[in-house]
Amino acid sequence: MTGSLRWLRRTALRVVPVVTGVVLATFFLLRLVPGGPAAAVLGDQATDEAVAALEAQMGLDQPLGAQLWSYVSGVVLHGDVGTSLIYNVPTSELIAGRVGVTLSIVALAALGTLLLVVPLAFAAALHKDGVIDHVIRVVPAIGLAMPTFWIGLLLIVVFAVNLGWLPAGGSDGVRSLVLPAAAIAISMTPVLVRTLRAQLLEVLDADFVAALTAAGLPRRRVLAHVLRNAALPTLTLFGLNIAYMIGGTLVIERVFALNGLGALMFESISNRDFPVVQGVALFCAVAVVAVTVATDFLVDRLDPRSRLS
Amino acid sequence: MTLSTPRTPSTTIRRAGVAVLTAGVFVLAGCTASSSPLPGGSAAPTTTAPTPGGTLTFARTQSPTSLDLHTQITANNAFAIDKIFEPLLSFDAQGEIEPWLASEYSSSEDGLVWTFTLRPGVQFSTGDAVTPEDVVYSLNRHLEVGGPLPLHAPITSIEASGTDTVVITLSEAYTPFAAELAGFSNGILPAGLGGVDEETFFKDPVGTGPFVVDSWTEGGDISFTKNEHYWQDGKPYLDAVVYSLVQDDNQLVAQLQSGQVDVIDTVASANVATLESNASLTVSTTPSWVVEEVFFNTLDEHFADRDVRRAVSYALDREGIVAATSFGTAEVAGSVLPPSIPGYDASIDSLSYDVDAAKAAIAASAYPEGFTTTLLVASGNSLRAQEAQIIQAQLAEIGITVEIESIDLAAFRERFRAFDFSFMINSATSDVADPNGIVTFQADPAGGTNGYWTHYDNPEVTALIAQGRTLPDGADRTAVYSQIQAMIAADAPFIPLSYPSNIKAAQATVQGLTVLPNGSVRLQDTWLTR
Amino acid sequence: MTAIGSTQQGPGAQAGTGAAGEVARGAGPLWRRMARTPAFVAGAVITATVVLAALLAPVLATHDPAAQNLLGGLQAPSGEHWLGTDQLGRDIYSRLLYAARTDLRIAGLAVIIPFIVGVLVGTTSGYVGGAYDWVVSRVVDTVVAFPFYVIVVAVVFAVGAGEQGISVALALVGWVTYARVLRATTAVHASSGWVAAARGGGLSHARILVRHILPNTLTQAIVLLMNDIVFVIVAVVTLSYLGLGVQPPTADWGTMISDGQAFVATKWWLSVIPGAAVVWTGIGLSLLGDGIGDVWRVE
Repeated sequence: MTGSLRWLRRTALRVVPVVTGVVLATFFLLRLVPGGPAAAVLGDQATDEAVAALEAQMGLDQPLGAQLWSYVSGVVLHGDVGTSLIYNVPTSELIAGRVGVTLSIVALAALGTLLLVVPLAFAAALHKDGVIDHVIRVVPAIGLAMPTFWIGLLLIVVFAVNLGWLPAGGSDGVRSLVLPAAAIAISMTPVLVRTLRAQLLEVLDADFVAALTAAGLPRRRVLAHVLRNAALPTLTLFGLNIAYMIGGTLVIERVFALNGLGALMFESISNRDFPVVQGVALFCAVAVVAVTVATDFLVDRLDPRSRLS
Repeated sequence: MTLSTPRTPSTTIRRAGVAVLTAGVFVLAGCTASSSPLPGGSAAPTTTAPTPGGTLTFARTQSPTSLDLHTQITANNAFAIDKIFEPLLSFDAQGEIEPWLASEYSSSEDGLVWTFTLRPGVQFSTGDAVTPEDVVYSLNRHLEVGGPLPLHAPITSIEASGTDTVVITLSEAYTPFAAELAGFSNGILPAGLGGVDEETFFKDPVGTGPFVVDSWTEGGDISFTKNEHYWQDGKPYLDAVVYSLVQDDNQLVAQLQSGQVDVIDTVASANVATLESNASLTVSTTPSWVVEEVFFNTLDEHFADRDVRRAVSYALDREGIVAATSFGTAEVAGSVLPPSIPGYDASIDSLSYDVDAAKAAIAASAYPEGFTTTLLVASGNSLRAQEAQIIQAQLAEIGITVEIESIDLAAFRERFRAFDFSFMINSATSDVADPNGIVTFQADPAGGTNGYWTHYDNPEVTALIAQGRTLPDGADRTAVYSQIQAMIAADAPFIPLSYPSNIKAAQATVQGLTVLPNGSVRLQDTWLTR
Repeated sequence: MTAIGSTQQGPGAQAGTGAAGEVARGAGPLWRRMARTPAFVAGAVITATVVLAALLAPVLATHDPAAQNLLGGLQAPSGEHWLGTDQLGRDIYSRLLYAARTDLRIAGLAVIIPFIVGVLVGTTSGYVGGAYDWVVSRVVDTVVAFPFYVIVVAVVFAVGAGEQGISVALALVGWVTYARVLRATTAVHASSGWVAAARGGGLSHARILVRHILPNTLTQAIVLLMNDIVFVIVAVVTLSYLGLGVQPPTADWGTMISDGQAFVATKWWLSVIPGAAVVWTGIGLSLLGDGIGDVWRVE
């Protein structure tokens, strides 16, 4: 009981400063950016009076302190991240409408990554310094050096335009998420393969593997033990990557014209729709922290050492 | 009282029935599917009867943010709004004013009293008949709100008269009035918004247009269903239209090619050739009301000098610019008015490409040795980036060193609004089928934008613009606009570079897609072959 | 873009070091160990080709990279234009070489400041601990939790697109990687017995940090740096793709990819060749990073 209370306190100490930092940083960062939302609504031909009137209506003529207070008090007191200046609906509604796409890509990409990483890392580790190992080590390095948007472009050209197997983008159900998820998985795999391979090599050297093999355990079961012991650092890394992806799908959403959170964020920054940018940034930050905390929790649970204690 | 239309002040009565409107339905002009072996892909005006039914997926790069016709101007909203609300008058694919919800209209000899007769049998999507009171309410709300596309006409009163007549009185003659009324922001809504508050009303608006909102995810897709009470018999043919949000030009093309969408709203000129080579698609290239221009800050140290601006005009090879950037989809520009606007004069001296004249002009200026300046462009627009680089190279020839500063659109707007730039590339768009609109905001210091952010002020031009507003349509008025175009070209506060086209592309199964010069599409005329 | 997640935000900590360094065992002079490390040799050779291309661009180029020919745009590769011409009729091969200059220069600029700041902050916070360490860690957490592109796009909008904007934006985010890793390793060293012993022996904190801890952590930082350059090049190219990067008419790979995108179905080389240049550079640098890690770990 005290253990979980301590965990709660520790988690809160990590979460609260980060969320506060993100809230304040977004607010001030956005105010440093020149240009405002009214001109985006009214177009190039709008008179200064019209722009000033709309800005006043949006509350942007208020002093900065008042604007900050209304934002922070909204978040803290009502859990309300504000109303979009452009769409005039609650930011939370906009986020809710977009988050599904982003989470689907992230989930699909995560799954794809796992399916790539585990066999590749095993193949490399089991054939250490062989041809397979070298190939598996070099090819992902190429993936690391490829800009994700460029991978996306190539996938579109090959699989959508030339072969016609999959849609080039858009909201055509799961099928249209395959290529974007693949692009992300391809760029995420290299680092994870490297890490898992290194860990596998270490564990394969361990005494217990030899002992288990000697005891006549089937090879498949032995390898399962190996994976379980080697997976922890990779899992942490994987968690970090997933966390990052939630706020980082912007480019891939653009290449594939998916209307997810990243696209909403870019559009809102371009339109200077401050509450929406603040809301999305906050959402992503909370998601990142949540995933990190969850990963730590999971690693803690899976770690044989901590289970003994 | 004389019954007249604005462009023919003689006594004529324009009575447009459904027959006239149907004749206005034409298939994608300039499309290439004439070579298409597919049935129904013909570019020629088709004689087969339209098939009703089906859903049209229309991909656009921006989603609507608000459907309030009085507070919006940008295309993402305007071209959703104009499917829902319709004005008393409208304009066709050639920009000709035509009666719409009003079946007849006329103005008095002195141009002060305008009378509109409502078309019989027009109903809102609720089935309620449109009354003169609805018209009075709608126009009054627009006057009250003002908004980005205000009614500029000097209106003194809007009155309902009888069961089908509305009389609008002006304080002085205002010839562009009919063209102004034909804009989407003068659509008719039910008086008192049908008894609901604004927010509720504009989420699920009631109008007379061919479509009603079915579902709308803010920041995402919007879908429409057919208005069962639409006043044009048998129309719209389509059961439903979906505006699908696809925020990338290349994705638009890819999704059209793979058949995921039926129509794409914009085609980057670089993609036109690819699409034209695809037999199952049609590409439509039609004239627009847009002029791509270089704008000078005439308060700038260098560009305050008229000779410098003229030198720049002579130094720019607009043929070359258009050839390299538009792939044959745009026309070389000379006048501030696009050819699609009445009054356009192709014969003016537009100070076109002439390196010797450019050198002579710069030699005559206060900066005969040239100077260094900065060209401001909005980032994320590849056309502008290309144009800027060409301009940079060409001005180097006359000793003007240009640095390109590309900043994001919102910052760009803030900069030119504050006159914090030397010269920039931007486009000007007419909102009405009349020359007054575009010359007023570009060259009239009282036009609201200080000469479209150039600070251009030539009292002679200003006087001519005022005259053009009141002169009745005819040779005199046309002559005034010729003079205005020539004087602006000579002063060169801006240099028109090109007249881009409205480019749309569709599956060959899409028929009767009427593209209007403002970039909108009349979807009530559209149908799908099976 | 996910590569950012992998190299930039923490995961990169393992990117270089995780790669097994079991290739170059054995002692011998440094250059022999280098020569015996395949990753180092391959990385060095590939990186050298890119650096040479950039340095010798004026010699190797066949055309002025800025010279336009408006009527000769989008030509296919030929004897005159080895890789064809772009939309404004400029020689793509020559622009590709000059783009190497641009992108390497920006990557160098954008990497060095975060490196210095990150090493400084990370080492001190790991050594000092306490409240200072807590604050640093929370700031690091915040930057990590911050959606990368909100910072980058907002900063670029604020400072203006171009090399300056990119450098500032990437620097604001980039130092975190170094700070995280160096904080962790320094903390391990600082809590070890010999530091206490050294303090007891009268050594000052500054001396312990600079003379004893930093040399131990710097290898790791340099390996990170090599991976970070790859990330930064990819990020610069990505920003240019988003229209927020290098200003025209400067040649850069990202703008070239982006400009060619509209023609990808008919003139694939416009986008694919500059993309391949990015990949080639990236492979070279990350192999070099691996190699350096392998060589130095032996010591």
